[in-house]
Amino acid sequence: MTKGSSPVQTISSQALGNGRNGTGRVTKEIARRAFRTMLEARILEEKLAALYRSGKIVGGVFLGRGQEALSVALGVHLRRGDIYAPLIRDQAGRLAFGDTILDTLRTYLGSSLGSMRGRDGNIHRGRPSEGYHAMISHLGAMVSTVCGGLVAKRFRGETGAVGATCIGDGGTSTGSFHEGMNMAAVEKLPMVVVVANNQFSYSTPNDRQFACGDLLTRAAGYGITGRRAIGNDLIDCLEVIGEAVAAARAGEGPQLVVADLLRLVGHSEQDDASYIPAALKESPLGRDCLDIAEDQLLENEWVTDTELSSWRAAVKAEVEETVGKVLREPAPDPAEEDWNAFSVVGRNLSGEDEE
Amino acid sequence: MPLLPIIMPQLGESIAEATIVSAAFSVGDRVEADTDLLEVETNKAVMGVTAPCGGILKELSAVIGESYAVGATLGYLEISEEDAERLGLNDAPPVPVEQPKKKQNSGGDTSKAEKKTVKPTVSGLPVPAHAGGATFLSPRMKARMAELGLHAADLAGVAGSGAGGRVTIDDLERFLQDLERNTISPASSMRVAVADAMRRSWTRPLATVVLPVQLDILLAHRKQQTVKAGPALYALRALSIALSEMPATAGRLIGDRVIHPRSVDIGFAVEAEDGVLVPVIRHADQFPLVDLVERYNRLVELARARRLPGSDTGGSIATITNYGVFGLTMATPIPLPEQSLLLGIGAGKITPSWDAEKKAFVPVTEAQFTLSFDHRVLDGGAAGRLLQRVSQLLGTPEKL
Amino acid sequence: MSITYLEAIRLAQQRALAEDPRVFIYGQDIGAFGGAFKATKNLAKEFPGRVLDAPISEDAIVGLAIGAAVEGMRPIVEMQFADFSTCGLNQIVNQAATLYYRTGTPCPLVVRLPSGGTPGGGPFHSQSMESLYAHYPGLVVMTPATVEDVYTMLLEAVALDDPVIFCEHKFLYYHLKAEKLPEEALPFGKARITRPGRDATVVAYSAMVHEALAAAEELSQDGYDIEVVDLRTVKPIDTDTILASVARTGRLLVVSEDWPWGGVAAEVIARVAAEGFGLLDAPPQRLNARETPVPYHPALWGTHRPTASSVANSLRQLLEL
Repeated sequence: MTKGSSPVQTISSQALGNGRNGTGRVTKEIARRAFRTMLEARILEEKLAALYRSGKIVGGVFLGRGQEALSVALGVHLRRGDIYAPLIRDQAGRLAFGDTILDTLRTYLGSSLGSMRGRDGNIHRGRPSEGYHAMISHLGAMVSTVCGGLVAKRFRGETGAVGATCIGDGGTSTGSFHEGMNMAAVEKLPMVVVVANNQFSYSTPNDRQFACGDLLTRAAGYGITGRRAIGNDLIDCLEVIGEAVAAARAGEGPQLVVADLLRLVGHSEQDDASYIPAALKESPLGRDCLDIAEDQLLENEWVTDTELSSWRAAVKAEVEETVGKVLREPAPDPAEEDWNAFSVVGRNLSGEDEE
Repeated sequence: MPLLPIIMPQLGESIAEATIVSAAFSVGDRVEADTDLLEVETNKAVMGVTAPCGGILKELSAVIGESYAVGATLGYLEISEEDAERLGLNDAPPVPVEQPKKKQNSGGDTSKAEKKTVKPTVSGLPVPAHAGGATFLSPRMKARMAELGLHAADLAGVAGSGAGGRVTIDDLERFLQDLERNTISPASSMRVAVADAMRRSWTRPLATVVLPVQLDILLAHRKQQTVKAGPALYALRALSIALSEMPATAGRLIGDRVIHPRSVDIGFAVEAEDGVLVPVIRHADQFPLVDLVERYNRLVELARARRLPGSDTGGSIATITNYGVFGLTMATPIPLPEQSLLLGIGAGKITPSWDAEKKAFVPVTEAQFTLSFDHRVLDGGAAGRLLQRVSQLLGTPEKL
Repeated sequence: MSITYLEAIRLAQQRALAEDPRVFIYGQDIGAFGGAFKATKNLAKEFPGRVLDAPISEDAIVGLAIGAAVEGMRPIVEMQFADFSTCGLNQIVNQAATLYYRTGTPCPLVVRLPSGGTPGGGPFHSQSMESLYAHYPGLVVMTPATVEDVYTMLLEAVALDDPVIFCEHKFLYYHLKAEKLPEEALPFGKARITRPGRDATVVAYSAMVHEALAAAEELSQDGYDIEVVDLRTVKPIDTDTILASVARTGRLLVVSEDWPWGGVAAEVIARVAAEGFGLLDAPPQRLNARETPVPYHPALWGTHRPTASSVANSLRQLLEL
């Protein structure tokens, strides 16, 4: 597929095309910001894996290696006031949306100063009141939650905001995903749903996951616009998702973006991904999006080798420095913990009963 | 006229209920004391429910063929004031008066009402004998009693008005209120301590065997001594030798194991100001009698002065009590809770004894020796043999 | 004027919509149609755009409410029947209930569950789900028993910052009537001593309060004085009021239309046994629905759930213990 613009193609008008209308044209600034964020995500996640293997992180580590281009492409097109519900492999998108290396490390390492305060960990982080939803593990559940945020904005008469979430190929099989997509379509919400089709849901290959051949065909079923992106091609992802976000923002209703790519790691750091065939890894699908992006930026002369080295050094330094800081931060104290799941009530009866 | 409830009796351990087979009398009949009113059947036997005193059968709520829980009220006997007094009916007025009143309202047909309300709380499950009365205490009762420092034994005099003759919280409060009419004085700490020990001891099946022991030889021996031991010390020494020969008889049964004594330490009871103290002679089996006298006398003095050091009391395996000093000839005293044996000495009496050689009655000094024991640890035979051995040893006092 | 329990629910929603622009109602057939039970009758017309028909997607319905609540709205979700809320269970217990604890962002939403049995309702239109939801930390579970309570408590539910499972009893919809709606209510989470007594305490909630009151009346013919405690809100639970009542009576029977296993009745008994053992004169008892799905035929249904007569029987046994 070629870069550049082409007429908009919705699934209903032209099946399975690569819908382009030029509104997603990639600028130098956005490409540089996207790449720099991909670099941050990659270096940070490599550190997370190392911390996990050295026993500093408990639970699990879920990496987005190979999916940074797609993830960041959504994150960079969102802005303050939008709603974003990232999923497992969206470290790059999260950082682009405003999450920080510091809070990522705090959540993974269980610092009491992190946004989740040790109550939840790893990828289950967010600041819902700021439009940054904290995913639950039950796939598909965040689709309708984002719908709700957009409905709230509609009630308040706020226009121009977009809601976005991501999901994998496996997550599209859930009832929750289907209900949410249908609901977004019924309500004609300004919503972008990005499906990262990384070929495996944990170990299950797509032929055991769905039978529709191409997930993009689902868009027609919901009556919404479908777009395809090349999942490991940063410029393509930026263009396609840029257009999808712009369309949603312009009131064109929900947008489904499906991107093929390959997860270059296991489901979690305990998984060696031995089920991914070597041939697939060696295919174009298996090319590392970071390498492709670097070539694209250099080719366009949007960045120099010197800059890239200094970026790498700077990110590494920031990650190392932050790890050192967070490791010295206090763990949550069970004695200080509130142990109360209610925001206000429950306290009325347990402590200061006035009767 | 007072009404006496006819109660389904506890007809054996593990019996929770019984079925009415027949009734010997009809309402209005005159009933003599100790005659069977009802025939009831348990899963073990057919038995009678007996009138504790004479009276007129006023009400018969039990229905033939129906089962009733132990403690259930089966009817009422109208009895004389005198009998009511004797049976302690007046101590607990709510039993016959309030309970039926409450339930009779429910629908006229008393047999039906009774049937509806009297249901075994557990059926098919064995319940311990004595499940009624003050032996079952609800958590609420226990909490209230703990608050007042009361024990189950304190409630022995309360007739329960609750299900199965249970003592209810109302019974307790009425009982306590009633006590206020009496003169009340605080019990000494000594009294309270003795009460506690006896209560704990009484949780065991205790029995007593008795043997007359001739003391003439012992008394003659005593006369010849410059340092004189009392009969209790003779007995103590004899018991210690006997126990050193058969220490397991002084063991304690804990669970399914017999705990043998570590050493033959024997205590003796000394009356001291509203109670009893028990000083101990350690290793009494290892010292001749003459060496024990001074120790014995000193311990008696210390005990009477209530200055007994901790090291000289506790840890003994049996106790001697000489109730003879009170002129008593025989008693069944209670062993200390941590002991299985208590040797009692009655007052010596000169009695005629048949002398086979002289073919004549001769006067001998004789005292009744009693051995009270934990029947779980030993039986009458073993207790008897131990007592015989003590008697035998006392017959050769020079060897003690 | 006479107001039914159902009408009180409608009026509470009307007032909430009128007084708070953050409130909207979302559920199946609740718009122009006015709801399967007419609890939103005319509200869509009166408040255009704020009473919305939803697709048959309980999961997404609750998910949408959560997203809106996070953004500061006060959604009321109407489940057509409590039974169907299991299709939205994941969103309720895993997202709504955990949200505040995990993130510090409150999730103020109300899920209305038309609950409990009616003759002919059968296995899938009769369930009582309060115990299921009360099991999960973070959910308030309300079970109003009176017209007055259903009105004030629904307004209270909307005002709360926490997700509320609002169990309204279908049997009471038309059976209960009140002359007027109250201006004042008991404080949040407080149980009510509906009938004072001294011989035994019956703890109940929702429709079972009325069965308990009828049983108490029956037992009063026998000279017994039964105290009836209406929990009103099963979570948080007002343990203090329960214990104070048991302290007066020494005997406890808990009546619940829900199944016995791990239910509200079991919870009440566990609390009394743990915190008020010394108050008890008899082992605490419970009376629940029978351990089968709710049967269809009225003859079976009438025996499946506790009734005044089965409550009275349980009480008689309790009084003899």
